[in-house]
Amino acid sequence: MMIKIEHEDNSLTKGLQQFFKRLLETREIDALFLPVRLKDSSSIMPSLVTESVQVDNAVPLSPAFPLNSGRMVSRLSYKLSGRKTAVLLRPCEIRAFIELIKLKQGSRQELILIGIDCPKALSSSDYTAYMEKDPLDDDAYIQKVFSENDKTLNGFNFSSACNTCENPFPVNTDMNILLHGVDLSDGMIVESASETGQNILETLNMQQATEPVKRDEVVAQIKEAGLKANEEMIKDIEEKTNSITKLNSFLDRCINCYNCRNMCPVCYCKECVFNTDVFYHQPVQYHQWAEKKGAVKLPTDTVFYHLTRLAHISHACVGCGQCSNACPSDINVFELFKSVAQNTQAAFEYSPGTDENEPPPLSVFHEKEFEDIIGIERE
Amino acid sequence: MEKFEPVIIAFVCNWCTYTAADLAGTSRLSYPTNIRLIRVMCTGMVDPQYVIKAFLEGADGVLISGCHPGDCHYINGNYKARRRIKLLKEILPRFGIEKDRLHLTWIGASDGIEFAEIMTQLNDQIIEIGPSQTRLSKVI
Repeated sequence: MMIKIEHEDNSLTKGLQQFFKRLLETREIDALFLPVRLKDSSSIMPSLVTESVQVDNAVPLSPAFPLNSGRMVSRLSYKLSGRKTAVLLRPCEIRAFIELIKLKQGSRQELILIGIDCPKALSSSDYTAYMEKDPLDDDAYIQKVFSENDKTLNGFNFSSACNTCENPFPVNTDMNILLHGVDLSDGMIVESASETGQNILETLNMQQATEPVKRDEVVAQIKEAGLKANEEMIKDIEEKTNSITKLNSFLDRCINCYNCRNMCPVCYCKECVFNTDVFYHQPVQYHQWAEKKGAVKLPTDTVFYHLTRLAHISHACVGCGQCSNACPSDINVFELFKSVAQNTQAAFEYSPGTDENEPPPLSVFHEKEFEDIIGIERE
Repeated sequence: MEKFEPVIIAFVCNWCTYTAADLAGTSRLSYPTNIRLIRVMCTGMVDPQYVIKAFLEGADGVLISGCHPGDCHYINGNYKARRRIKLLKEILPRFGIEKDRLHLTWIGASDGIEFAEIMTQLNDQIIEIGPSQTRLSKVI
């Protein structure tokens, strides 16, 4: 089923807000979770909204992407709350959340997942600078992103995760808000993607819409452009990090703040080994390292930390780019991760976030597999 | 030129490969001393971190060796190890640590002779690949 979201006072954003208000007023749901512009601020943060008037501040499509909300939705859903929540997520946030569901760190039971064609994002620092320098209003932003497919916004580059994304379309949801291939002068389209989604859309009593004819073509074009950009990016980063020495230089500004880990939506351990006594070395240990190599940089274990993270979660990397966004030393961790994630995901034929029933590759095994890696014959 | 003596770390399981090493010893077979055995209860407990750390600290080769499929003392630890080694073989070569520096083998408890042969072969192979680049760099 498809329904139409019309402009409200000539504004797409207001039309969307109206849609969410109706959703809240149906009493089918108790709360909404979506990006909201905070009071007296240009910051847009994901918020849990229960009052319909608060929806007036919602900005469902904005260049702000302060964190991957998949993690936040996990907090809202890892236990039952007795309340039904509709959550609006970007495609990479949905993928991350699906990965967390597999790890029992979230549940769809009380959620209505609403996907949206991705409105791209600036890094948090660029977003702050952009907001200070003549930003577009919410509607103009939507027009810009969905009609021009530019890689820049008022001179700021969209984050490299967005510019190299091959999958900015929602899957695994209850309903999706479609913008690509849709005539935006006529409004937007919401399609149901599950039975629950369909039932809810029916109760809204909104005008039905027809399948946007150009969508498949536009989607294919965007995927192809994303794949191409991705290929170039990976070639470049592989060149920059194809030896341990180069990797060491690439990461040498790392201060072990672990922000990339904290903001990674799929870095799932409750307690990270890097926070344990294992890495609380004895003073003599540092001396021994220094004596062995002549000098040792502190903090230590930076390359070790990033390689361990790659081993732990590269199979689940959803490509949201929040690791780079969180890095105070401006290390492009995202590019490094994506280039490795691509290999590990291909090796296990694993596609994170696409199927809740597909188990994470390191949680299962088969009797007969990977026989080629056994033994010491030269490969 | 001085002969290259590699450092090879071998994580061997208590029930099969370590027992095989023991048997090799009691049978008075010799194998290269470049191989440092670390006994673990099961290959399934070898965290990828151990392997990464070994390479970063300058190991020229790493071997993980356990029971043959179906023989694992803990039923399926060796299958889990196999997936982890597969994973590492995807990640490490990307950073210039050659695939052939990391090996997984199954050596049963009664395979003392095979153990000594495989260790010799492994040592020769690592010598052929040459020293690891992490040996001299200041990577920690």
